[in-house]
Amino acid sequence: MQILTLEAILLLFLIAATIAIIMCRDLLAAVVMFSVFSFCAVLAYLMMGAPDVAFTEAVIGTVSTIFMVAALKKVGRWCKK
Amino acid sequence: MGKPFGGVVLNSAFRVIVPFTIVYGIYVLTHGEFSPGGGFQAGALLAIGVVLARLVQGQDTKFNIKGTHAVMLAGVGAFIYALTGFLPMFFGGNFLEYAYLPVHMHEAAEVHALGILMIEIGVTLTVMMTIIDIMDALVRESDSDE
Repeated sequence: MQILTLEAILLLFLIAATIAIIMCRDLLAAVVMFSVFSFCAVLAYLMMGAPDVAFTEAVIGTVSTIFMVAALKKVGRWCKK
Repeated sequence: MGKPFGGVVLNSAFRVIVPFTIVYGIYVLTHGEFSPGGGFQAGALLAIGVVLARLVQGQDTKFNIKGTHAVMLAGVGAFIYALTGFLPMFFGGNFLEYAYLPVHMHEAAEVHALGILMIEIGVTLTVMMTIIDIMDALVRESDSDE
């Protein structure tokens, strides 16, 4: 039961992070929220018993966050209306 | 000592995180058969070390691999994989059939482990160098626009 509650809270975090990514006007904040999403996904995978997938997600989440920040330098920080 | 670091926080973070990242990457590579992880994760971890060095210290850091060298080494990684795959075919086996590798060991399981390790070294090299090359391409693109 406790595991189920924790999973429910994690999934709510995932949904909240996704909505934040979509609504953000500040692209740097969106990238940071993507990193939060990735971390919550790592915890969810661990809880569902897939440490291999969780490990991959942790590493790739870090790398893709770095890539997106590097791409922001070209794209610009603020989203146009 | 080359270029100075960005600041106290970046300096400490760089000096603490990068050695641990690289040692952990090598651990993941060599323990890929027994524990979670493998060539892909190890390559990404090793690449994070180099990418962090470039993020903190800029282009002319000492701990760096240039984009052209990275492409070449990615090819070397793919070559190692292909070599391990095709070598058993010259000795009567199928593609990637480790039991036919031309090495003599006490047990067949050891030959198997050696074959998997060689495959993983190739995958690690390719993934690491590809990530470094993507990073290089992104930074180069945004520098030339200004």
